[in-house]
Amino acid sequence: MSADPAIALADVTFAYGPDEPTVLEGVDLAIPRGAVTVIVGASGGGKSTLLSMLNGLIPSFIRGEFSGSIQAAGTDLTTTRTNAVADRIGMVLQDYEAQLFGTSITAEVAFGPENMGVAPAEIDARIDRALALADLDAIDRRRPPASLSGGQKQRLVIAGVAAMQPEVMILDEPTSDLDPAGTEALLAVLQRVQGSSPAVDWAGPETVVMVTHAVEEAIGADHIIMLADGGVAASGPPEVVLRDAAALRAARVGVPPLVTVFDALGIDREALPLRPQAAEQLVAAEGFSYDPTALSAGAPAGTGGDTGTELFALEGVRYAYATDREPVVAVDAVDLQIDRGAFIALVGHNGSGKSTLSKLLHGLLEPAAGSVTLDGAPLASYAASERGRRIGYVFQNPDHQLFAETVRDEVAFGPANFGYSGSELDQRVVAALETVDLLSLADEDPFKLSRGQRQRVALAGVLATEPSCIIFDEPTTGLDATQHGQFMELVGRLNRTEGLTVVMITHDMETVARYAPRTVVMDAGRVVFDGRTRALFADPALLARYQLRAPQVTQLAHRLAPDAPPALSERELITALGGAR
Amino acid sequence: MSQAYAPFVDRDTIVHRLDPRAKLVGISALFVLAYVFSNPLVIAVPALMALALVLSVGGYRNLRRVRVIVLALFVVGFVVWPVFLAPGGAVLVAVGPVVLTEREVYIALGRSLRIVTFILGGLVFVSTTTTEELVRGLRQLGVPYPICFAVGTALRLFPTFIGAAGTVRQAQAARGADVGGGSIRERLRGFIPLLIPVFMTAFRNIQTQSMALEARGFDPMGGRSFYGDLRFQRRDWLLTLASFGVMGLATLAAVQGLGRI
Repeated sequence: MSADPAIALADVTFAYGPDEPTVLEGVDLAIPRGAVTVIVGASGGGKSTLLSMLNGLIPSFIRGEFSGSIQAAGTDLTTTRTNAVADRIGMVLQDYEAQLFGTSITAEVAFGPENMGVAPAEIDARIDRALALADLDAIDRRRPPASLSGGQKQRLVIAGVAAMQPEVMILDEPTSDLDPAGTEALLAVLQRVQGSSPAVDWAGPETVVMVTHAVEEAIGADHIIMLADGGVAASGPPEVVLRDAAALRAARVGVPPLVTVFDALGIDREALPLRPQAAEQLVAAEGFSYDPTALSAGAPAGTGGDTGTELFALEGVRYAYATDREPVVAVDAVDLQIDRGAFIALVGHNGSGKSTLSKLLHGLLEPAAGSVTLDGAPLASYAASERGRRIGYVFQNPDHQLFAETVRDEVAFGPANFGYSGSELDQRVVAALETVDLLSLADEDPFKLSRGQRQRVALAGVLATEPSCIIFDEPTTGLDATQHGQFMELVGRLNRTEGLTVVMITHDMETVARYAPRTVVMDAGRVVFDGRTRALFADPALLARYQLRAPQVTQLAHRLAPDAPPALSERELITALGGAR
Repeated sequence: MSQAYAPFVDRDTIVHRLDPRAKLVGISALFVLAYVFSNPLVIAVPALMALALVLSVGGYRNLRRVRVIVLALFVVGFVVWPVFLAPGGAVLVAVGPVVLTEREVYIALGRSLRIVTFILGGLVFVSTTTTEELVRGLRQLGVPYPICFAVGTALRLFPTFIGAAGTVRQAQAARGADVGGGSIRERLRGFIPLLIPVFMTAFRNIQTQSMALEARGFDPMGGRSFYGDLRFQRRDWLLTLASFGVMGLATLAAVQGLGRI
């Protein structure tokens, strides 16, 4: 880290238009050179706006109402066009689908260097390097980007920017759709920060700035900038910013789990551990005793009633996507039984077949071989409307389904399609909105709500049909820590009190550990583990084989008692360490 | 993961390997053959050649997409042309008020085959040429890069649109949306839950796309390099020469009055 900052903002104030609210006000900040800086803050708190200033998209591309100065190593970014600094400052925007320009993986990665006028022979070498960095070198390079899984697309966008070999790389939630191994690999690349001559033997950008909601990624950073209320609420190394639990909560940023645990155990702020290793030393130094027998059997959040009544049964299920070359087998030889009232996490790395399997469960896709039964009858024997009424599906992006003028109409769409009308329909809509705590916004335009609220509108629309099972495909992507917590508590409560069966695709291992008593792991289209979540996290060899990563709480528990079933949540760990003081 | 939406067929045939410019010249030769003659038996030759090419490059799925248009062309051709033409020759069809003479049938058939040849030729091109090759080919023919890029972007947006539509359709189907059936009014109403999210998604995509283009250093007026092997090879020269030969001979033959009805 050197004193001269890579990018510096002075007295920056910005609004998207004369009548729009001020997003940032009087912001002064410096992005340190040769370091990884993470920007944290609530959803809608100006993080993406701030990022757009770091390569001059604001104010040269999005003008808005801007005042202040932005300097990047002697260049005034308020008067320089973004494409003129693109070779020095690379940027990966949040919505990766919209950033793919090529018709093949090769063409996609070559696009940036072509714009820079790099010689074709050199582009060849850059493609090799960028694809290796993004861990995409095992995939056929002629494949069109549209045929990749979500996480693979996200990595391809990163490869495309890496091929431009920028000194500074700016990334807006680059790991939102990556599996745990992919996240770790990407962070390793970004942290392999190089001191000099980036053009020769480029191994990674010199300076990295990224926005993330994942607190573990923030722990790994060199520098943290926390935004709240249109300004910088805190700025400094993780050891300073991330130990202040009260300030983090006030800014709606996730508190590191070990900070929560040891704060509750009465440890002073300066001594709070951020990593399992430090926590283990602290436990020894402070003389805590760890008693794993205090742990309950099920999920810590008390979800997943074992009713023993079968809802779904899958036998030998197979599905393949047609392409111009060989078909790509996405799901193969899957046997699975799901009981009523279960809460199941579906995990596995990008492209392992999770989304395809969930669509087979819903009947959105039909298996090429094998059978799917619902309540004992073949899924295909149900009318589409009956299937839709019994099984709800919450998609990752609520914006793919919102269309109505009011929240009320939006929520009523599903149940009305399934034949409800009049006062019964109204009752269902009101009940669903009450459940997701949006009744007060019933007459608002759904497009004006926050992402977290829009996701809850989508959930309410499914709840209003009173399904016996809801399938969630990464439902918390793009939600901040507070929204994420609220959403998961809601789903957990529905499972506990209403007996709702939940099948949830997620890469978030904290969520898996805390809410799902049972986990199904997929790898290359097959189910490779199906059992108790605690058993999965108790087995490091198994986790390593399928490139999963235990949450920090569980890692610490495992260090303290390698042979005992590990603690899965903060509360469990606190109990096992003798309870809050 | 999604199915293939783009017209490009990911195969490795000799037609795929041709330079896009040579391909354009070759297909133009088929067009000239179909255009200068009017005898349907003669036009059937380029039409069948184009059909064989589409099938041999794996373009069957593209053919399926346009089959309704092709059928409609023949039907409309038989209805429309006879209205403008003077009857001639023997009567071939006489069903009630519909009377078609030999001349009318021949000309209608010829005109329809001609348009079908154009469509099939176009299909051969889009089935075997990636957007990048097309953009680069146009550039090398001297078309200004901003125009090349606009063409390329339009082609790229097509699969983006279809992909978004597919996701939205699945999301609304899961909510019990029914987009078929009912009166026209009901059908239109049924489309609203699809159209609004698709347009909103597409609109946001275009915004993000334009920002991402800036961030990737794209400058329509600036200089750039082109990655990938795109040189005229021997087979490209051979095809180009042969195509110009065919065009010349065909025009000559047509001027001499051959291939007419």
